[in-house]
Amino acid sequence: MKGVFKINGKERELTFKPHHTLLDILRDNGYTEVKEGCREGECGACVVLLNGKLVNSCQVLAASVIGSEILTVKGIGDLHSPHPIQEAFVEAGAVQCGFCTPGMVLATYYLFSKNTDPDEKDIKQALDGNLCRCTGYVKILDAVRLAIKKMKERENEKV
Amino acid sequence: MYEIKWYFPQSIDEALGLIKLESVIPHAGGTGILKSRLLEKIKGLVDLGKLPINYFCEENGEIKIGAMQTYNDVIENLQQIDPDSILIKALSQAASTPLRNRITVGGSVSYFPIWSDIMGPLIALDAKVTLLGENAGMYDIRYFAKNRLLRRNSLVKEVKFEKDRWRSYYFRAARTSFDYAAFTISILAKKDKNLVKDIRIVVTGCARKFSRLEDLEEELKGKETQDLNFDDIFKDINLEFRGKRHGSPEYLNHLFQVELARGLSKIFGD
Amino acid sequence: MKKFSIIGKSIKKIDALSLATGTEKFTADFKVEEPLHLAILYSPYAHAEIISIDISEALGLQGVVDVLYQENTPRVLFTTAGQGFPEPSPYDTYIFDKKVRFVGDKVAAVLAESPEIAREALKKIKVEYKLLKPIFDPENAMAKDAPVIHDDGEHAVIPAKYDPERNLAAEVEFKIGDVEEGLKDADIVLERVYRVQYASHCAIEPHAVVAYFDERGRLVIITTTQVPFHARRIVSRILSIPAGMIRVIKPRIGGGFGGKQEVFLEPLVAYAAWKHKRAIRLVLTRKEVFITGRTRHPMRIKMKTGAKRNGEITALSMDALMNAGAYGPHALTVMANAGSKVLPLFNKIKNVHFLGRTVYTNLPVGGAYRGYGATQGYFAFNVHMDILAEKTNQDILEFFKRWHIREGETSEVFKALGEGKEGVSQIIKSCKLDECIELGAKEIGWYEKRRKRIRNGDRVKGVGAAIAMQGSGIPKIDMGSAYMKMNDDGSFNLHVGATDLGTGSDTILAQIAAEVLSIPIEKIIVRSSDTDLTPFDVGAYASSTTYISGAAVKKCAEKVREQILEVASKMLHSEIENLILDNSKVVDLKTKKSVSFEEIALYSLYQQDQFNIQATASHFATESPPPFIAQFAEVEVDIKTGRVYVTKFVSAVDCGQAINPILVEGQVEGAVVNGISYALWEDYLFDSNGKMLNPNFWDYKIFTAKDIPEIKTIIVNSFEETGPFGAKSVAEVAMNGPLPAIANAIYDAVGIRLYEPPFTPEKVWRKIKEEGLV
Repeated sequence: MKGVFKINGKERELTFKPHHTLLDILRDNGYTEVKEGCREGECGACVVLLNGKLVNSCQVLAASVIGSEILTVKGIGDLHSPHPIQEAFVEAGAVQCGFCTPGMVLATYYLFSKNTDPDEKDIKQALDGNLCRCTGYVKILDAVRLAIKKMKERENEKV
Repeated sequence: MYEIKWYFPQSIDEALGLIKLESVIPHAGGTGILKSRLLEKIKGLVDLGKLPINYFCEENGEIKIGAMQTYNDVIENLQQIDPDSILIKALSQAASTPLRNRITVGGSVSYFPIWSDIMGPLIALDAKVTLLGENAGMYDIRYFAKNRLLRRNSLVKEVKFEKDRWRSYYFRAARTSFDYAAFTISILAKKDKNLVKDIRIVVTGCARKFSRLEDLEEELKGKETQDLNFDDIFKDINLEFRGKRHGSPEYLNHLFQVELARGLSKIFGD
Repeated sequence: MKKFSIIGKSIKKIDALSLATGTEKFTADFKVEEPLHLAILYSPYAHAEIISIDISEALGLQGVVDVLYQENTPRVLFTTAGQGFPEPSPYDTYIFDKKVRFVGDKVAAVLAESPEIAREALKKIKVEYKLLKPIFDPENAMAKDAPVIHDDGEHAVIPAKYDPERNLAAEVEFKIGDVEEGLKDADIVLERVYRVQYASHCAIEPHAVVAYFDERGRLVIITTTQVPFHARRIVSRILSIPAGMIRVIKPRIGGGFGGKQEVFLEPLVAYAAWKHKRAIRLVLTRKEVFITGRTRHPMRIKMKTGAKRNGEITALSMDALMNAGAYGPHALTVMANAGSKVLPLFNKIKNVHFLGRTVYTNLPVGGAYRGYGATQGYFAFNVHMDILAEKTNQDILEFFKRWHIREGETSEVFKALGEGKEGVSQIIKSCKLDECIELGAKEIGWYEKRRKRIRNGDRVKGVGAAIAMQGSGIPKIDMGSAYMKMNDDGSFNLHVGATDLGTGSDTILAQIAAEVLSIPIEKIIVRSSDTDLTPFDVGAYASSTTYISGAAVKKCAEKVREQILEVASKMLHSEIENLILDNSKVVDLKTKKSVSFEEIALYSLYQQDQFNIQATASHFATESPPPFIAQFAEVEVDIKTGRVYVTKFVSAVDCGQAINPILVEGQVEGAVVNGISYALWEDYLFDSNGKMLNPNFWDYKIFTAKDIPEIKTIIVNSFEETGPFGAKSVAEVAMNGPLPAIANAIYDAVGIRLYEPPFTPEKVWRKIKEEGLV
């Protein structure tokens, strides 16, 4: 099958099989920043933003989302101009092995897109599908709080 | 190996025609299909994404939810009209944030998978399921859940229930926070000063899959809430539970009794 | 207190931004040209002989290139344990054998042009088994009539007790004084049996191996390994390929915790590559990781203590029976550590006996797992001491303070229990355990809550404590090495064999070098864990990286400093004694003249007496100074449902001088949350045929962010004079407290003793009912 997807702002025509998931087609086409941890929707390492919504890419059949817009962690910031969320994760010491990090960063991004002033409960809820075994989540939660702070400041500066 | 053909019908009729084909099934969010490993067995998938069954509205005192609404859609939409809704409480705890962006009401209602958490609240809300196709019609949700054959060559169009002011309580018996429930308890109640005006109690995950505790409801109606001893009141209710990873039948039964008492106490508490 | 410029600072991890922006590559992210994909066929039976394997139909499938099994793979015994040579683990594994020993044992492997074809071909392999009687209960594994699991030439390569005919994978015994006499002397004799369960590391990245041939035909293996150099040696030996023809690279790794200190996939992948001269890819599924990866060794420990009424412990005996599973990697060393890391903590007990046995069973295979036997041992130890303290009317914290080892003291256990050979004696030079206990107790509100059973509706509060020590590397065995060179601009390349699993070792090793050379960390370019490009290191285990690899880096940087000073003294016409390094410059304290590192580099590379400022250094240690920790759990037990809520957890740790505090906290916090979910939920469930029933996150429950309690970590800096800038280690020690602290807190809350985690609601509820508390 063929389909055009807009990934990180770029339109790409991808070839895939009917049973392939979004995770398959992303990783097979160079988007290895999207990680595979369990293939069962249980660990969250593979999350991406699909038309603005956070989803487990391993639980989405690619054929059903042809024409969609997909954002991976590389789509929100890079080494040369990182997103405030990425900076916050670095500053808060929330990155150990980094395997869960793209997912955590995108979950944070999704949270902020719906709620610019989340409380502690909202933050934990937003991350409820992302597993981490290295950090015990303590510094990840610190990072999310810091990221929200940074993003609010950025919003205020714009005004 | 896999041999799947995808169909993207533009109309309900087209979709209904396709699902009549052998080994061809509807595709909503896909989570149920992937979890049950059906991909290896089927010949075709009918994607419902283009059909006019993705809506949420309030009409004539009823809340109508199109089959393709995801859990997060429902939560966000209900938040605007009824922020205390039991459906919000239940769906917010089901699965995880990214999964709630894919699990659809229609898909859940069709299969009632064990991770879905939607059955209890919908039964408590006396919801109705509208089907299109061979078994077109409107069905009481309990009837629909018990009669799986209704799904044959039919598609869920919507689920609806009356908008009403209920006190609500929801409990799910789970291990860690991201876990399927061993059972769930949904309670809706109305109080008139201290009298129990109306009450609905639904349990899912028991041996019979779900149970509405109508006997208990009758016993509670009309009583004064301060007269109720919640620890005693239903020692006779012995819902059978099968053993699950969360616990043995004996333990689950015990947990259920404790949490039901707590739920009733809480819902009438203030 | 020492003043450092970069040591002790929480500087950002040098790879944090690249990880957060997704540029770093993990093993499965590497693309190789036209790889063959490996899929493995596993045994459905716990114990069986393979009578025949018919691969013809599988080979006939379009796209299948080969099927590997016992008849066409090297028949060389090895151990998959990633340990130094000679390994203290028995050689009891073949790439494929004629026998299967657990549900999940390897039977055959398909090589095909795509992963799907490979998996499809697995279904076509016809295997005829002759079922054998399995043994699942370690207590019966050595019975006279027990089926023998290993009976084909398996042997130990070090002089250690190994008797496979009795399913004995390892045995260690050690005595001090006379325990029987000590018990006679006692007023109270306390005997209890503790059982610690299976666990999976649950690193979010599954194991993967990608092998390919470089431009000159050398085999390159990119793998999720904690032990690249051991992997190369083991692969070379099994396949008879010269090690010089193999390059092993550890890229970014998505967590290890010991689960990747195992060379169990590389030999198969390397053999497939070597045979077909093609690139090979293997990525395990999560289910394969659970079942065929290594686990924590389940252990049963009988603790018997004698004590006088005044609390003096007169005797301590520890009888440990460990379940190796079907094979024996780390069978000796994990079991020995249950004694060697635990018993020295209470060094003043005059009569001590340790008997440890590890037995084979037809179950999934144990391996290295953070804590490494100490975790199991400390559960038994800390619960036992909590009971003993109560029986002798002492506050457990005073009890701990009274008995634990102190600076200037030693323990006979250090010499007696080593890693397969004799241990190494040592005197403790740094220990701030008292302060850890005091600060931790204060933070948890110990005195306000202990024995008070504060009610919160149906929930009762309790607090519990545990103390532990670990080690810092394996003395006289572990070795690390470093290489540094200076570049034109005054920056340095630092090459280390040391293995960063996400722990941040690249960063802290750079900090150590930066401290010696007085430069900012941005001036150090770190490359690690590549057998071609970096010098040797045993790898990331035994909490060795900071203490041993760090010392190698320090030595190396000091040699570089010498050379810098030599050149600077020529350039400035100064006496070396007057020169200091300061912020990328060399300054003459007398004349105040200075010269920058860049100038020194340009001078030495291009202008006069040209040479490249560079150095290498190795280090091994003659002791293993333990980090110490005091950990406290606050729980609320729902007395009606038995559910245990951990509401707060405090760790106070002495890891010597913390090189990077935020990374130290990260290590502690990660181990703590792992420990809490291990205490409450994690376990392997089996059916009656030995099949593991919950190989997925669906039914093997670990915590999410929503589950964690309030967690506080207190770093109590001591100064370990034998460690680089006073550092010891911190990687494992925090794993040891959660199980016992929670068990002790549950007792504090509802008065029931639990000897067998996980402390599930049903278990607690049944115990509460049994003991009539509600």
